[in-house]
Amino acid sequence: MRRRRTQVSSAVLVYVILFLTLQLFLLAVAAEGFLAGEVGLAWSATAISTVLAVMSVLFYRFLPTRD
Amino acid sequence: MTEAGPIWRRDFPYTSEGEDGVTRREFARFLVAASVAVAGGSGVVSLWASLRTINTGAPRRVVSLDQVSVGDSYLFRYPTENDPAILIRHDDETILGFSQKCTHLGCVVFWAPAEQHFECPCHEGIFNLSGEPTAGPPERPLGRIEMEVRDGDIWALGANEDAT
Repeated sequence: MRRRRTQVSSAVLVYVILFLTLQLFLLAVAAEGFLAGEVGLAWSATAISTVLAVMSVLFYRFLPTRD
Repeated sequence: MTEAGPIWRRDFPYTSEGEDGVTRREFARFLVAASVAVAGGSGVVSLWASLRTINTGAPRRVVSLDQVSVGDSYLFRYPTENDPAILIRHDDETILGFSQKCTHLGCVVFWAPAEQHFECPCHEGIFNLSGEPTAGPPERPLGRIEMEVRDGDIWALGANEDAT
């Protein structure tokens, strides 16, 4: 059971790290949109980043309460 | 691993305060908080991009027409003192004005009269006489500045948003 919990928490961590990495890229895209005056691009990056943040929160809820 | 701990612990027998105090849940919580913060940061950047006002400049005299020969360029600052700009006297009456900021990473472009194009020395970006990128990494045209000849003087009338 403990091994199962470890696997689940590792999977959640991997996903959250992946999401965060993507979000950092999207932050750079939003900054590029800002510098280029392309507001639509910045907002699109923000929308995707927000979805990823929500998914991170949802994944966090899957984390077992005890490791 | 031995009963005394992993082998690397013998080779690197140093500990720091609280290094065993972070659980997976706490680490995940930190990552999720960072994720929310990054999303918030993107939102701030987007909001800033939406709300900012861009100074496109007011009409002002730049230089006398006599001081710029046909085919020559002249450097000036527009719309503010922090915005390098360049004008090209294409023929007797045609004056073309551009921001000198390369649209790749903001280096200052210069006019190459022999080749009749603008060059960015940082990454060898090339822009034609219309300011359109023709080679190198830039993908967007140079910012344009509307120019006019009034009573023997060259005037800058206003810049588009890319020129600032």
